Amino acid sequence: MSTYEHGYLIVGCLMLVALVVASTPLLLAACLRPRKPSAIKQATYECGIESKGDSWIQFKAQYYLYALAFVIFDLETIFLIPCAVALNQVGFFAFLEMTVFVGVLLLGLVWEWSKGVLEWR
Amino acid sequence: MNLSDLLPLLRFLAPEILLSALALGALLGEAALSRLLGVEKRQNLLGWLALLGLGACLVILGDQAARGETLALGRGAFVASPFNALLKTAATLAVMASVTMGLRAPFVRHVGENYALVLFSLLGMFFLLSAESLLMIFVALELTSLPLYALAASQKGARRSIEGGLKYLLFGGLSAAFLLFGISYVYGMSGQGSLAGLRDWLVAQRTAGGPGFLFLTGVCLMIVGLGFKIAAAPFHLWAPDAYEGAPLPAAAILASASKLAGIVVAARLLLGAFLPVAGNVLGSPLSWHAGWSPAVAALAVASLTVGNLAALAQRNAKRFMAYSSVAHAGNVLVAFLALDASGRPAALAAPAIAYYAVIYALTNAGVFAAIHALAWGARGDDFADFRGAARRAPFPAFFLLIFLLSLAGVPPMAGFFGKLFLFMAALQADATHWGLAWLVAYALAMNVVALGYYLRFARVLWVEPAEDLRPISTPLELRVALVALALLVLGLGVFPSSCLAAFRTMGGVLLLRG
Repeated sequence: MSTYEHGYLIVGCLMLVALVVASTPLLLAACLRPRKPSAIKQATYECGIESKGDSWIQFKAQYYLYALAFVIFDLETIFLIPCAVALNQVGFFAFLEMTVFVGVLLLGLVWEWSKGVLEWR
Repeated sequence: MNLSDLLPLLRFLAPEILLSALALGALLGEAALSRLLGVEKRQNLLGWLALLGLGACLVILGDQAARGETLALGRGAFVASPFNALLKTAATLAVMASVTMGLRAPFVRHVGENYALVLFSLLGMFFLLSAESLLMIFVALELTSLPLYALAASQKGARRSIEGGLKYLLFGGLSAAFLLFGISYVYGMSGQGSLAGLRDWLVAQRTAGGPGFLFLTGVCLMIVGLGFKIAAAPFHLWAPDAYEGAPLPAAAILASASKLAGIVVAARLLLGAFLPVAGNVLGSPLSWHAGWSPAVAALAVASLTVGNLAALAQRNAKRFMAYSSVAHAGNVLVAFLALDASGRPAALAAPAIAYYAVIYALTNAGVFAAIHALAWGARGDDFADFRGAARRAPFPAFFLLIFLLSLAGVPPMAGFFGKLFLFMAALQADATHWGLAWLVAYALAMNVVALGYYLRFARVLWVEPAEDLRPISTPLELRVALVALALLVLGLGVFPSSCLAAFRTMGGVLLLRG
């Protein structure tokens, strides 16, 4: 076994130890504790307050659409800044590439706009 | 890189660029037309435009195949070759059949997005068929799969479409994780990203004590990911639900073009890059050698068993096709094992796999197109809905029979020669000792079962009485698609050896460049 694989062996041992340390108290508790279930004990724990209603509620998908659109343009800046800083070194070709990249994202924005994704309903 | 270096590249990348433009155009077309035209008009107009663009792609690909030039970019990140152009042509044809199916029957409200997803998925397959580096394979695989997940779930109103799509997504995500984890080990141990580099590294390791067990772990993890992609048992569980839930045009892509790309990339990885660690499964289990061969043999046997036996019990045409595709994954995996005792693959193996994958993609596209034509007048897609359909719509029923016979492997259909070459390759590998005879014998036995269930489906169509005798009309474009696919399936069957020879001279599946 090479030293490289040896490193993984240590990770494996650590995983095993973690598993044992985490599961032993739970198992011990499961064996030792008295079992007296009641309705209030079975209820979902919600910061000590009595839980109300179902957890299957509907919530607005609009948040996600906004978040997605935001992330795309957020990432765009991450790509744009290094390109802008190094523009003198990378030259005209990189500028062209960036233009294509921004153009594709712009098409996406046009599509989102026309599909009404940006309107809050 | 200068602009002047860019122009020759554009010629090789033209199909991919055209496809990207088409997909973006479909999105913009939807954006521009959604207020002006109704769903059906848009479906038709954008569909014809997509077909036109795909036709142009075919012309460019044909030109690439005819020119016979090869280009390898960035250590195998993108390889354009005549052989790859041919494979891309087959994938494009299958996708064109799928688009044709949807022309008159809008199955989603978001028409342009649907076409964009189809085209992006095809773009992913193009890159996948051209990729000879680990990272590019992964990225292309994701580009192929992500739109397919959405397509499988695209009938948002139908519960089973959502269910099938979700299952496909979850299984797909998990298998992508397996693949990526495997890639990380393989790359971590070898430091090689390109398939050619990996093979050379493995050959060098033979004298340096072998690649180590972590490398083999990585290879096995990658096999899990690939097994999912080609729906090999036991990684096939998503297939029946995804096929059943997906709208027929989307299911057609899942079963044809996506499978073709998966088989080719699996062959490139296993028979190309990882060939030196193949091991073998010749003769009795005691004489096997460790490597990926025993794992792939297990997948092959499991797929042949599960696919063929489960297909017998199906009542729904799409689920039936899903299990049939599992069985065919088993068939094609047999040829992956066509290695002799010293680990050299049979000369026939790679061309046979490519031939089979192409035939299979075209035939399956045909089956789904014909089922689509028959389902026009039916309530659903259970076998019971197709009873006596041949009397109601003899035209598509006749072509469905041709495609089913090709899948069953009845001569003179191309499917027969596909299977013949696969099994011949397996037997040739270790011809003096009959090393793979056990596997081939099992595959043949299972293909006899397959003949039974394909003919049972044909019986439902042709023999059983129809309850409803109103004729089903088949739109002209669907008729053209059926005839074209049938001609291809018959044509490739009439000239099997010349096709195989063409594949061979084009360098086989495993053309690897540094």
